[in-house]
Amino acid sequence: MVEFSAGMAGPWIGRFMAYCGAEVIRVESRKWPDVVRLYVPPWAPEMGTQPQLSPWFTDWNAGKRFVALDLTRPKAIELCKRLAASCDAVVENYSAGVMARLGLGYSDLRSAKTDMILLSTSGYGDSGPCSRYVSWGPNIEALAGIATLSGFPERECTMTQYAYPDVLSAVHGLFALLSALDYRRRTGRGQYINLSQYEATVGVVGHLMMEYLANGHQPPRLGNRSLHAAPHGCYRCKGHDRWCAIAVFGDDQWERFCGVVGRPQWVQHPRFATLSSRLENAEELDRLVEQWTSTRADYEAMAAFQGAGIAAGVVQNTEDQIRRDPQLAARRFFEEIEHVKKGKVVANGIALGLTRTPGRSGRAGAAVGEDNGYVFGEILGMTAAEIQECIELGAIETAAAETAAVGNLS
Amino acid sequence: MRVLELAEESGLYCGKLFADMGADVIKIEKPGGDATREIPPFWRDVPDPQGSLFFLYMNTSKRGVTLDISRPEGQALFARLVGTADVLLETFPPGYLESLGLGYAALKVRNPGLVLTSITGFGQTGPCASFKSADIVASALGGAMYVTGAEEDPPVVLAGFQAQVMASAYAAVSSMIALHRRSVDGEGQHVDISMEETMASVTHICGAGKWLDDGIIPRRRGTGLFASVPSGTYPCKDGVVYLMINRPLHWKALAQWIAEVTGNQEVLDPMFEGPSSNRQTYRELLDAYISELTSRLTVSEAYHEGQRRHIAFTPVNTAAAVADDPHLAARDYFVTVEHPQAGTLRYPGAPYRHSATPWRIARPAPRVGEHNEEVYGGELGVSAEGLRDLGERGII
Repeated sequence: MVEFSAGMAGPWIGRFMAYCGAEVIRVESRKWPDVVRLYVPPWAPEMGTQPQLSPWFTDWNAGKRFVALDLTRPKAIELCKRLAASCDAVVENYSAGVMARLGLGYSDLRSAKTDMILLSTSGYGDSGPCSRYVSWGPNIEALAGIATLSGFPERECTMTQYAYPDVLSAVHGLFALLSALDYRRRTGRGQYINLSQYEATVGVVGHLMMEYLANGHQPPRLGNRSLHAAPHGCYRCKGHDRWCAIAVFGDDQWERFCGVVGRPQWVQHPRFATLSSRLENAEELDRLVEQWTSTRADYEAMAAFQGAGIAAGVVQNTEDQIRRDPQLAARRFFEEIEHVKKGKVVANGIALGLTRTPGRSGRAGAAVGEDNGYVFGEILGMTAAEIQECIELGAIETAAAETAAVGNLS
Repeated sequence: MRVLELAEESGLYCGKLFADMGADVIKIEKPGGDATREIPPFWRDVPDPQGSLFFLYMNTSKRGVTLDISRPEGQALFARLVGTADVLLETFPPGYLESLGLGYAALKVRNPGLVLTSITGFGQTGPCASFKSADIVASALGGAMYVTGAEEDPPVVLAGFQAQVMASAYAAVSSMIALHRRSVDGEGQHVDISMEETMASVTHICGAGKWLDDGIIPRRRGTGLFASVPSGTYPCKDGVVYLMINRPLHWKALAQWIAEVTGNQEVLDPMFEGPSSNRQTYRELLDAYISELTSRLTVSEAYHEGQRRHIAFTPVNTAAAVADDPHLAARDYFVTVEHPQAGTLRYPGAPYRHSATPWRIARPAPRVGEHNEEVYGGELGVSAEGLRDLGERGII
């Protein structure tokens, strides 16, 4: 696969593909570096911009091959087409229209390979009045309605710190790409796929959108409550910023819940005896639940409820997940990855759950153009003289000599 | 391609992804219908087994049959269906299918190419495998809630069951990869999706890599993103607008606009230029500069004029604003689906546009047992009498 990409939404598709064994070649340029290459280590800002050291560069690009091309040079475009012709698919998330202007649009690529598959992903898609607009993941959270649908009623909008639309767009893009590969395997035909991150994000809250589309009203912001379960929430536990999420479905669970918190009399209490009464009195119920949880440690509360067959889980942060979660540890969720400059790094897992063909992350932290020699020499079969000529023409950019000393990075 | 779906909430979106791309997805419900039909809200707010808007949205393009797989006759029919399937998607607690003699090892004997895709809260293995989960629980354990919402608020879950949606999306991807692998060697496999792990993967930007690099545990911080300066919501005359700057050139364009409109010359200081990290210590000051600009504009002015200048301004849309967005209209995003009861309803459309194999809603969500006759009679050759008998005894 060849990738022309930036940020997370495009690169994360290739990251999964590489993890599952595909050879993924990322085309980059020194003149227009990806934002993830503009990383200044917070532990040593005096080192300045460090293109190989961002942890997110590992998260989004581990296991890929990297070439450096100046896409304003015709020779570089010719090399891109040859690369594309050697591959099964091309993925790009440049601003809408850029690939076509570079001479790398779908029709250009198809002339290099008749069964070409091109996945093009951008914020607004490739048509419509706003197709050229600039957006990042959080912009799409705001745009697609998920920010105003989520959160507590008194908040105007609620947003994540994990750029959710970038992630969900990458996963949808991957499914779209795999569907196209399946179709080509059966028919020998390629195709063009366009993904709008805006549209994919509306899709994941489509069932909430239906409330407006079918019934004509904005869905209520529920915070941590549910329309069909109570108690259902996030309850304060002992300690600073420690919480346990609990969800009680049905009257059987409610009865067991009352047993766990030592209040069997609540089972028949007129304000809580039925789901509809619990939903009606959710505020009071939540207060009572929190009286119990707030005198207990979060993991203790989780264990007590789970012991009674009730869904409960600690509101974990990343440190909790790495140090305190026996399940993630037993399943080896976190992955140790070889890093060109840091030795070994640890990253969140890819979590595809393929039991017969589990994936693996290859090398992290490669430089822009790190694999010029391999890709142009071995994949395209160019001679040293041909490569040198492309370097002199300014088409191939040579590997950066990143010499900055790397500090103690345990 | 055929997918059998035996799924509660957490698996429905996976089946929808396959069905809307043209796979033959057969949804197998309990006789009388699954509990997911009772999830509110309902069409016209009237509870009805065919009226749950959640159910209608999540089950487009699927065919529906009923079957009691806990009884031997139901298992016999199920085994025959499995013989015709590429993927079996299921969301039972780990071990349940084994207890019926329908675990992966047994199904593999019948259909070596079968991909068994299981979605559970914690996965098939590990000390917590038998624990109960729910969307909010997976969102908590997976790290999403800790970093969602306002700094001074409790953690909060995203609307719309996103832990289930993403577990489903990962399940769809993994199933496709398993099928790709099968095309090489003919063998299927068991796909073991854990909702907790899916969410921990989804939230990786706040995860291990960052924490082990800078020692800072990401937390809730309102609408601004920690790594992007400036970012967040800013006040306009008639609401708020979202802004994010990551690229040096985008900052320059914004600073220029602020200077033009407000006369502020300090914002043009070169010390604010370059990557976001250069602006990290000036976040509050820059937020004040930006608010001076945005408070003189309407949301629409900030959005469209900002974008004309290549600055990533976006409105904070309600469901109504999304439904009425001219950009989505120009792309014909929303589609209509005919329902026997509700008539024509508008649905969110394709998450991706394929030139050769376009996404489409082929049919509305099935009624309870709508395709029993078509599947059991037409395909498995059960006679009309046999069907009636199975119905009377509550097998289908």
